[in-house]
Amino acid sequence: MKTLDMTRPLSFLFAGLAAATLAVAPGLAFDDHEGGDEDDGDAYYAIVGGDIYTGTGEVLRGATLLSKNGKIHEIGYELYLPEGTETLDATGLRLYPGMVALSATSNLSQGNFAPGLEFHDFTPHEDDHSICGDCGKFYEEIVPAAVDPGEVSTTHLAVEGFRTDFDDSFDPFGGYMVMALANGITTAEQSNVAIKLKRGEIEGVSLSESQLTSFQWSGSNPSGKTDLRQKFRDGYQYLRDMRLWEELDKDVRGDEPSKRGIDSRVLSVLEGKTLARFSSNEQGDLLGIARLAQQYGFRPVIQGAVEGWVVADELGRAGAYAIVNPRVRRDPNERLAHPNGSSIENAALLSAAGVQVAIVPSNTRIDLGGSAGRDLLGLALEAGFAIRGGLAEHRALQGITTVPARMLGIDHRVGTLEVGKDADVVVADGDLLHYQTLVQYTVVEGKVVYDKAEEIFYAHIRPRTTEEVVDPGEQAPADEESVEESVED
Amino acid sequence: MKMRKLLFGMAGALALASPGLATPDLFALKVRNAESVSQGTIEHAVILIEDGKILTIGQDLEIERGIPVVDRTDLVVTPGFVDCYSRMGMSGSGPSGTFPWLKATTELSPRQGVYNELAEVGVTTLGLYTPGSGISGQAVAIDTSGSSADEMVLSDSAYLKAVVRSNSSSRRMLEGAFEKVDKHHEAVEKAREKWEKDQEKWEKDNKKKDKDERDPEPGPFEAPEPDGVAGTMMKVLDGELSMMFGIRKAADYLHLQSFIEGREFEFSLRVPAVNDLDLWEVTDQIGELGLRVIMEPRLTTRAWTMRERNIPAELARAGAELVLIPNGDSLGSAKRWRHDVGHLIKNGLDRDAALRAMTLGPAIELGVDERLGSLDVGKDANLLFFDGDPFQPTTNLVSVMVGGDFLDMEDVR
Repeated sequence: MKTLDMTRPLSFLFAGLAAATLAVAPGLAFDDHEGGDEDDGDAYYAIVGGDIYTGTGEVLRGATLLSKNGKIHEIGYELYLPEGTETLDATGLRLYPGMVALSATSNLSQGNFAPGLEFHDFTPHEDDHSICGDCGKFYEEIVPAAVDPGEVSTTHLAVEGFRTDFDDSFDPFGGYMVMALANGITTAEQSNVAIKLKRGEIEGVSLSESQLTSFQWSGSNPSGKTDLRQKFRDGYQYLRDMRLWEELDKDVRGDEPSKRGIDSRVLSVLEGKTLARFSSNEQGDLLGIARLAQQYGFRPVIQGAVEGWVVADELGRAGAYAIVNPRVRRDPNERLAHPNGSSIENAALLSAAGVQVAIVPSNTRIDLGGSAGRDLLGLALEAGFAIRGGLAEHRALQGITTVPARMLGIDHRVGTLEVGKDADVVVADGDLLHYQTLVQYTVVEGKVVYDKAEEIFYAHIRPRTTEEVVDPGEQAPADEESVEESVED
Repeated sequence: MKMRKLLFGMAGALALASPGLATPDLFALKVRNAESVSQGTIEHAVILIEDGKILTIGQDLEIERGIPVVDRTDLVVTPGFVDCYSRMGMSGSGPSGTFPWLKATTELSPRQGVYNELAEVGVTTLGLYTPGSGISGQAVAIDTSGSSADEMVLSDSAYLKAVVRSNSSSRRMLEGAFEKVDKHHEAVEKAREKWEKDQEKWEKDNKKKDKDERDPEPGPFEAPEPDGVAGTMMKVLDGELSMMFGIRKAADYLHLQSFIEGREFEFSLRVPAVNDLDLWEVTDQIGELGLRVIMEPRLTTRAWTMRERNIPAELARAGAELVLIPNGDSLGSAKRWRHDVGHLIKNGLDRDAALRAMTLGPAIELGVDERLGSLDVGKDANLLFFDGDPFQPTTNLVSVMVGGDFLDMEDVR
């Protein structure tokens, strides 16, 4: 850092004159004046005076979070704020890590409001026909080019310069994305790609790709289970052979073990490059998955896991992740003697058994047509329901931040408020998981991307101050002169 | 159709004989106001026209004795309107792909009444583009008053149209087209190396030989011809041809810019003015670069609201070169064009910017601004005569002059 290089000689100077003045802060401040270009391009942003819920279990009341160039630079009290630091007063508000939404609708990253959908009352130009070429698809999920699940990603390493098709199609102005930001979501997984919801910019949007590999394991398909077990057995055997072969002397060993017939997807799971995802709810299936995982030493991700609470211990021993919807209802089958069906305690019991629980709503789209409160905008509320079922509050928060981040392989960047991670912060006017709480500001990589008072969605609900009037369709202040001029004599 | 006729509305102050006569080679035109576009409104303007071109223009200029005078001091003149984005008189939709060498001029069928009719409603210059998505080809700029291709075509390589969207295939398409240029340069380089080697070899082999015994000397270096794609894209990179990118939302613009980064060439944006258009998110960026933006004169609602925004006005204010086109691709829309633009002016668009957006702006887009688009010395005398403010809906277009000649407009009023 240039700043430090400049500070040292200056500090020595000071030391020679008066040792007592050798404080770091004055040195830096002085340096800022003299140094000229040392803070070139460094963007500082501070959120001051809020209660910081770091997501690691700690809470710092009335503290300051300082971001530098989009990363959290410092969290604490009485921080030194470099000159030119933009600040946000968060007194009385709470700071949380930005939420991570799993299986989110593609409208988040590509959903503009499809200009051209409405009726044209004029003869459209030929080119304009093509605008509506895919209008029919608008309300459907626009599935991006399928990612070959066999392709093993090394995204943990290749963070810089990482690109997916989403980088070419990302819409940083989409209304759905702003709604997600307005509800505290700053990262979303779409079609197995983790996407940072940046506003107004399109660079560095994809965070990871193909972290989850899907497999089928279902009691209704016994041969499928046998096949999968065989694939894991073969893959496991191959890796063993490979290890042995590598240990042998070059002169002694024979040919390299053949990779033929080995399922590359299974291999990437066994090598720990991706996580295996199963979609399963029945306790019998869950047990089967847990045993398979224990046998071959991988950590399964189980989507659904409605009856997970019945076999929670087994899942915990297998080191499983679970993606649960706390509000799901499934009536027990009364003919069965053992406990079955859904339980509101599911998330709590799974968590108590050591399962890492991620939380999703029943509808992972942004739905304004009927299921309000159960769609993606109710993600925090959904975590609240898990608490209602006995899940510890910090676990519930982790279920919508850290745990999904870990699953997607991006927990080194998002999920908690810690120095060095991305400055993705939700500033809420109360407990984030409380049903009445509204997000006041959302910050992504050190930039305010949502301000409740400035957007049409929630500004009218408990407005921040009375004089703030929201004018969403505001035209830039009309140039009065030009208006007058236009009135021809 | 271009009748060498002169219309006279008033009997009194005429220096010329009765209607029906062609304008002389040199004559002076006196009008109430000339909205020159380039130098503002000239009151009591006198325009001297020679051989269809503006010789001089100014306020209350003295007219030399003997020069015939057309006195229309009751009227306001503007430059002829230019619509740079049309498919009038052409049919069908085009293929999707990379065809930059295609030219709309090959589709032109001049003997259609529609072009002359356009001239009569004030659109004296028209840009016709190639249809289809992708890089679809080069537009043609025509003089709508003409009756044959020779008379009409002003430029057969007006701009290169491409439709781009926010997705990987658009990016690949653009990258592919520009890569062809690099590949061509490589091919030229290789050919040159080979030629140099041949040259050396010849010299080595034939140095000691007598003149008569020498092998035939290799000819001068001939670079391989670029193919259609490379040839056209080279013109773009050399600044001979400007590109028009059809986009439909703000995100498309950012993705386009991220592709263009580092490449230098002239381009404009075509953005259909439809409701929910979010272009205002990037107007500052567009304005800073002073890009031309081609759009219809329409107010559009902001997404999820019924609030109208005047995006053309916002673009003009931000510093973009606004280029307006009629609200639809029909004669009726062309007729209503100035009324629609008037509505934008009412809603905050600068009036000067509005007139420029119908004349000089599109002329620049078509690359014919040296010839027309404003009332300046040396430019074609393409003039529209109005009996008031052209943007006032009750104002009539009284006559149209193209290249110094009045059009015969008995049918229109």
